[in-house]
Amino acid sequence: MRFVSFRPATSVLAVTALLLIATAPSQAQTRAETLRYVTGASVNTLDPNIPGSTRESFALSMSTYDRLVAFGRKQLNGKWVFDLDTITGELAESYEVSPDGLKLTFRLRKDAKFQDGSPVTAEDVKWSLDRCVTAPILGKAQLLTGSLTSADQFKVIDPLTIEVTLPKPDKLALPNLATVYPMIINSKVAKEHATADDPWATAWLKEHTAGSGAYVVESFKPGEQVIVKRNEDWNRGSANKPAFFKRVIVQSVPEPATRANLVERGDADLVLDLQASDVQSLEAKGKLKVVSTPQYNAITYVSMNNQIPPFDNVNVRRAIAYALPYDDMFKAALFGRGSPLFGASWPDGKPLNGIYPFQQPVKLDLDKAREYLKAAGLPEGFSTTFSFNVGQASTAEPMAALVKESLGKIGIKVDIQKLPDAQMSTQINEKKLPFYTEGIVAWLPSTDYFYRNFYTGNQRWNYSSINNPDLAAIAQEARFEPDKAKYEEAGRKLNAMHFDLMPQIMLWQPNQDAVMAPSIEGYTYEFHRQVDYRDVSRK
Amino acid sequence: MTTGLGATMVRAGRRLLSSLPALFGVLVFTFLLMRVLPGDPAVFFASGPNAGKEEIELIRKQMGLDKSVPEQLVFYLSDIGHGNLGRSMMTGQPVLKDLRERLPASLELTFTALLIALIAAVPLGVIAALRPGSIVDHGVRLFCALGVCVPTFVSGLLLIYVFYYLLGLAPDPTGRIDVFTSLPPQRTGFLSIDFLLAGDFEGWWAACRQLILPAVSMALFVIAPLARITRASMLVSLGSDFVRTARSVGLSWRKVVVTYALRNAILPVITIAGIVFSTMLGANVLVEKVFSWPGVASYALDALLSSDYAPVQGFVLLMASLFVLVNLVVDICYGIADPRVSIE
Repeated sequence: MRFVSFRPATSVLAVTALLLIATAPSQAQTRAETLRYVTGASVNTLDPNIPGSTRESFALSMSTYDRLVAFGRKQLNGKWVFDLDTITGELAESYEVSPDGLKLTFRLRKDAKFQDGSPVTAEDVKWSLDRCVTAPILGKAQLLTGSLTSADQFKVIDPLTIEVTLPKPDKLALPNLATVYPMIINSKVAKEHATADDPWATAWLKEHTAGSGAYVVESFKPGEQVIVKRNEDWNRGSANKPAFFKRVIVQSVPEPATRANLVERGDADLVLDLQASDVQSLEAKGKLKVVSTPQYNAITYVSMNNQIPPFDNVNVRRAIAYALPYDDMFKAALFGRGSPLFGASWPDGKPLNGIYPFQQPVKLDLDKAREYLKAAGLPEGFSTTFSFNVGQASTAEPMAALVKESLGKIGIKVDIQKLPDAQMSTQINEKKLPFYTEGIVAWLPSTDYFYRNFYTGNQRWNYSSINNPDLAAIAQEARFEPDKAKYEEAGRKLNAMHFDLMPQIMLWQPNQDAVMAPSIEGYTYEFHRQVDYRDVSRK
Repeated sequence: MTTGLGATMVRAGRRLLSSLPALFGVLVFTFLLMRVLPGDPAVFFASGPNAGKEEIELIRKQMGLDKSVPEQLVFYLSDIGHGNLGRSMMTGQPVLKDLRERLPASLELTFTALLIALIAAVPLGVIAALRPGSIVDHGVRLFCALGVCVPTFVSGLLLIYVFYYLLGLAPDPTGRIDVFTSLPPQRTGFLSIDFLLAGDFEGWWAACRQLILPAVSMALFVIAPLARITRASMLVSLGSDFVRTARSVGLSWRKVVVTYALRNAILPVITIAGIVFSTMLGANVLVEKVFSWPGVASYALDALLSSDYAPVQGFVLLMASLFVLVNLVVDICYGIADPRVSIE
């Protein structure tokens, strides 16, 4: 053929040229006063009370709304974490707890104003708390854990004073008011948008804010990004001045590798949800600040359904507890980034304290595991499935492989089952999974709270489906126990029972790895496991 | 010629009508499929630390799942009739609004990628056909093989690594526009067009810079089928009688190759381009994820993982309609490329 010409080169050139043009350097922006926070998740509602709201939505609402009170912070191994025991006023200037613990009185700040300029009154507080316990929203179930169930419990004393009465002296009533849901809404504005079908304006508040918080929503694109700007009048921070950053950009970047690139290049200031391997390499490079905090209100379990044979036999559960290769799993899944909840030594065979979660004295010991299997009447082992959800595949997949391998050595044949997230939660809720790994988180991590919510009742969060009346009774009693020593005693009893019954196996508390530009300061691990934008500042 | 064009339009109209039952079938099928899939969206979305039975029931009611499946289907169909695709639990927005915002992003990306792919593939195919078995032919084959065997997310991550991370030339791969750039008034939804309409060339440039890496990584993947088809059909047409005649009467190289051979060879390329376009639109989910591109495919995937029915159903309906539309356009293009096609 003679029809040769060198046109082809043109097209190759064109592609290359396009690439080069596209990649001309961008001008540097002075953005010291802007915080750019990237995350794999996204904000889906401006009112965290809406069923289905995401964790990012929780975090955003902490900055757009105020609550009556807020948690303080403390140092834990040199890192700032929220402090359940220090509760400071946010919209409340001061509060009092009556000696019998049945009355909480809050005096509001005189200078507190909503973002539209109107003052925050006790009426607004009452409306907001009423909404939380009355409307069909998420706050209801949360406040229930603090004995706050009815609108009658909130009484306006004068325009700046509100009184909360409790049926029992509940330790968790006050901390509950500092959680995400009981935010204080501008009731005048919200009422204007209430309808007969929707008296609490849930539809409107989903897409609008009417709060007094440190940041005002500037633009909200669900699933993409939220931009907030500083509320200059806000002074509820510790130093009586507005939040540091003038603007905060919360941007969704689904690909973890891209998030790592962004923060390493300095284009993003802060990211929480990187893969453990990326965090490790970024930390090794030493250019960025990495704050790793064990999520001390979260736990990862290997759960066994105590109602499904053969896991209804305590010796089978014990056998599993001694057949897991804990150290290898910890390394493979988390690169050792977390606090282990295994491998303790109990010199006198009793729990060291009454705090949950605790390190159990279990370790890989196949001989012991075989003995327990024999005691259970299953010396030959059995077959089962081990499930985890796709969303946690990066940590659960290597873990599952190790579980399968190790249990194979004592004759237990494991089929690994990887389930889409929605399917996994459905099966857990229906109590159909015999053997799986899942995690939990508690906003108000006290021993009795953990045992009451995660070890009792026929409900979703009771992963092991344990039904032990003694355990439930002790936990229920501890809830209202005012005496610290007695509470500690109850905690020890519960922990001893946990080890004895082995309803499920606590593995570890994963670290939350916050990776940030070196100039970012003040990062605090919060109960909602997200960044509180009000905490951070730039050097 | 006018009758030819008229016939094409009539044929297109008939095609459109005959695709309506298929669309309806897709609608019902997706609806049923979503209900049959295991996984209860209500349980998934009631994932707050204290969400219990009550919350699950609440969400079930909100999503209309408390009714029987036939009832749900009737409600769904009547909603569709009113132009309401339901509400997404995931974003909290009406599905129609989500799709309307996201579709232009996907279309812009796909069009650009297809354009890049065609610009690269057609000449590559032609050259390969002109010298079959030569070094150039093998080179093209190698290039195509590489393009196909490297998955789009790998090439995407690679491009990011080189042009953004190492060289620092590309803007950060986070969506359609830099977060610090203000958006133009929305007219078409295509940022590159909206910026031009607003006369904001700096913004236009910024949008194009964001677009180029994802578009190239998508284009790399589809160059192969396009180039191979071009080559094959060029070979047929170069070997045919009319080309031999044209050459023997001494027509210029350009006239022989471009006017006679290529024009006759382009039909199958158009068909493939149409198919490639439809697949790209749905299958570019990986590129959208890697580049945080707010498109419809990643939206549908997220919805599918969380069993969020309404967005998935809306997405499938949208894709089916687009497929019908693309086929229609391909039909019309046929008529233009080869008037003989219209004469049935």
